[in-house]
Amino acid sequence: MRWRPGPIVILLGLAALVPVLDLLLPAAFALSEAVRTVFLYAILALGLNVVTGYAGLLNLGIAAFMAVGAYAFGILTCEIYPFQFGFWSALALTLPIGAAAGVILGAPTLGLRGDYLAIVTMGFGEIVQDVLKNLDSITKGMQGINPLPAPALGGEQWTADDERKWFYLLFVLLALTVLAVRNLERSRLGRAWFSIREDELASRAMGIRAERAKLVAFATGAALAAFAGGLSASLLSSTGEPNNYDFQASILALCIVIVGGIGSIAGVLVGALVMVGLNSIVLVKATAWMAAQGIGSQGNVLLSPNNWKFLIFGLALVIAVRVKPDGLLPPRLEGTRR
Amino acid sequence: MKAMECHGVWVQFGGLIAVQDVSFAVNPGEIFAVIGPNGAGKTTLFNAVTGIYPPTKGRVELHGDEQVEPVTPRVVATIAIVGALVGALAVGAVHIQSLWQSWIIDHYKYAQPFPWAEATAALARAIAGLGWFGGVLPLVVGGAIGGGAAWKHFSRARRASDHIARTGVARTFQNIRLFNELSLAQNVLVGMDARMRTGFVSALLRLPRFHAERRAFHAEAQELLDFVGLAGRADEAAGSLPYGLRRRLEIARALGSRPTLLLLDEPAAGMNPTEVGGLMALIRRVRDRGVTVVLIEHHMKLVMGVSDRIHVLQHGRTIAEGTPDAIRSDRRCIEAYLGSEEHG
Amino acid sequence: MLDFEVFVQQLITGLSNGMIIALIAIGYTMVYGIIELINFAHGDVFMLGAFLALTLLGLLGMESWGPWGQAGGVATMLAASALFCGGLNWSLDRLAYRSLRRSSKLALLVSAIGCSFICVNLGLFWGGLPMEVFGGGMAAAAPKDFPALIPQTNLLGDSFIRITPADLLVVAITVPLMVGLTVMVKRTRLGRAMRAVAQDGVAAALMGIPVDRVIGATFFIGGALGGFASVVYALYNNTIGFQMGTRAGLDAFTAAVLGGIGSLPGAVLGGLTIGCVRSMSDQYLETRWTNTIVFGILVLILIFRPSGLLGAARREKV
Repeated sequence: MRWRPGPIVILLGLAALVPVLDLLLPAAFALSEAVRTVFLYAILALGLNVVTGYAGLLNLGIAAFMAVGAYAFGILTCEIYPFQFGFWSALALTLPIGAAAGVILGAPTLGLRGDYLAIVTMGFGEIVQDVLKNLDSITKGMQGINPLPAPALGGEQWTADDERKWFYLLFVLLALTVLAVRNLERSRLGRAWFSIREDELASRAMGIRAERAKLVAFATGAALAAFAGGLSASLLSSTGEPNNYDFQASILALCIVIVGGIGSIAGVLVGALVMVGLNSIVLVKATAWMAAQGIGSQGNVLLSPNNWKFLIFGLALVIAVRVKPDGLLPPRLEGTRR
Repeated sequence: MKAMECHGVWVQFGGLIAVQDVSFAVNPGEIFAVIGPNGAGKTTLFNAVTGIYPPTKGRVELHGDEQVEPVTPRVVATIAIVGALVGALAVGAVHIQSLWQSWIIDHYKYAQPFPWAEATAALARAIAGLGWFGGVLPLVVGGAIGGGAAWKHFSRARRASDHIARTGVARTFQNIRLFNELSLAQNVLVGMDARMRTGFVSALLRLPRFHAERRAFHAEAQELLDFVGLAGRADEAAGSLPYGLRRRLEIARALGSRPTLLLLDEPAAGMNPTEVGGLMALIRRVRDRGVTVVLIEHHMKLVMGVSDRIHVLQHGRTIAEGTPDAIRSDRRCIEAYLGSEEHG
Repeated sequence: MLDFEVFVQQLITGLSNGMIIALIAIGYTMVYGIIELINFAHGDVFMLGAFLALTLLGLLGMESWGPWGQAGGVATMLAASALFCGGLNWSLDRLAYRSLRRSSKLALLVSAIGCSFICVNLGLFWGGLPMEVFGGGMAAAAPKDFPALIPQTNLLGDSFIRITPADLLVVAITVPLMVGLTVMVKRTRLGRAMRAVAQDGVAAALMGIPVDRVIGATFFIGGALGGFASVVYALYNNTIGFQMGTRAGLDAFTAAVLGGIGSLPGAVLGGLTIGCVRSMSDQYLETRWTNTIVFGILVLILIFRPSGLLGAARREKV
């Protein structure tokens, strides 16, 4: 059989070429810098896709696990604490730490019916922010933990200026995440998740241990989210303030999954490009452009693009699900789904 | 030993008694039919047997065993560990700042090696110093909540349908419950899941045993699809199958777990006479694989044609049991069922 | 002041806030009961109701009216906000949800989240109106003061325990609404149609019930209750802001789930519970941990009663 590149490979291949495009465009565009954010959110959304897309569990607090990863990375690496792990070992540790957080939240609550679980995860998202703000002797409260180390490869310490290195590091990690998620999807576990999503009662009657499968999905999603959190903390050299991991971040991840095509890896990649592109590229650039043109927002609420963000975002969501209810790139049957 | 025995089973929903003191025994290798007018409690009986809801009273034994997971030392240990962990978490949650203070902040000086041993000893002292109210109380309360929740979870799971399915009982549903968005092969593979051994890590890393198991099970799924007459359609979506074939796919899925007992809930509903004939042959072939079959059916030609013995329910009660010939001539059965309904 | 008095005082505050939460929670629970949608925009519709009330108050200059005039003003605001929120909620259903009845629940939910974002943004713009009460259009995002039309004097004279006219207003508005709603759902034709659609939309449609109109009516009633709640909230707490919908929505939805979503008495019980837990935690523990405690209690209750306090365990038909 002749091998034909699937949509995932095509998308990743195009993404790998972005730095080349950057060389051709004026410096002000700095596309690869912006695309890094897309990569981070793609990893986060792939984690959410395992939970919501595959197992059908609505998780409205995925950003909380991102926060867990970011702060775990911060505490393990920052020089104001005695642990002082390196980038790689701390990043690897965000996976089990995130999974543990997922199990702690998931074990008692996964027996709940869908929408009850949704509210519990949403509440968890709020709580994690509160805890991070309130335990200021550990988490430094609103300041966030910083500075955090960048990776070192072959004895050479990177800095924030190594833009291309960062780009390809994130690219490789995203590709590995895609591979891992795809392997799980096309395994016994993925099948168990689909069957639970379709009809939990029937899948239990066939001997699927639904609770266990759901817990694994939850922990996997949490681990990937924490991984994305650790990466973003290192990229920014700070955990940022706890509010960075608020409900809106969770919703952004959910929207990526749904606008892209729920349960489809390629869809998630496209969704990340569209949603994050809108959120942190188009709007940010527009604001910068207007400031450069001297169009002041002083006094008039309507004159700052940032103030239109929610409106645009909201309209985009309403229109997207209306025009393409299954997402831009819905999953194909491929032995798993129609 | 009987394949399945019901001893005085009652199922009650609030004030409604759906099944009332029903007892019967199914011999291994038999085709056993449960019949009765609509609302006689047949499906409820199946649901009680397969753990979808537990019987209010009475016992169901499968292969001479009550299919309830016993309380082993391992279960007790798990519950104790969960309790202890939750208790420890509760203590930590209440005192995290002061414990962090005595462990890290008191000992850390910038750019100097951290005295781990000293700090950890201080942490241990701080934990010991929490006392009754600060330490023991959260530990006990957290432990009780954690242990209680774990016990509740266990007692729910021990007679749950997934557990019963794994002891060799498979079933189909009256209103066909296939996984419509999965392919035919995938549906059967879900049925086989209970026999698979690959874990998370070998699936993630695609270890050799993953591939070996995958090949073996895919081949078996094909074979099962052939067996029920769905050869060559493995990659179609289950939702696109015509109605009559869906029943067959449900049987293939149920056979995936290599059950010793197969419960068929109205397998002939909505079939035309030709299809019913094929189904009868299929049921006999299933029995010839060594599977005991219990079926609920309204279609009299099928019931009389394949069953070794028949059990008749009306209003949740047993009114007769016997061979097809005996049932056909039983006056009460004719009144209750055959006489009152036109079809069949 | 005695410990006991502090406790009673917190109880009063908790119950008053709980009533308001309950009123919002009913809007969630009604919509959820009928089309299984967490109507994310509900909290933000509530927020816009409060903005409308403040606009009216500013336009009509109610602050300078006499006491009877102000009472009339409150009634005007209540009626206007209720109509406005009900209409807004109805139009959200009409424009954004109705066409998604046949698609997945998630698509519907995302649409609701989108509507919520749109409403929040409209609130931000509204707060930038060049009106006196909105700070003359400066700092659109800042919280707005809502004048205390209902005096906060203590009706119990100089006792430490305070019961103010605002507390009474909360009771006087929320209790009749809840009673009226219960009677409506139980007794009227519309109520019966709503229950029928909630149980089985297809069967209800086959019986000739105009399902879409019934769902629209549910949205209208739920929104109108949110509108009443918004005016009561503003008069009770005296400050509103474009982000208050999120917080209030989270509390109210938690209340609905806690009580058992789909159940009206459950929403009321959940709202009162959450109101009291909040005020007790503010008093006896630390305010900054209040959200954590509310959530912790929710999880604890759901572990041992997975369908909420008054929710019926649903049995799937096999």
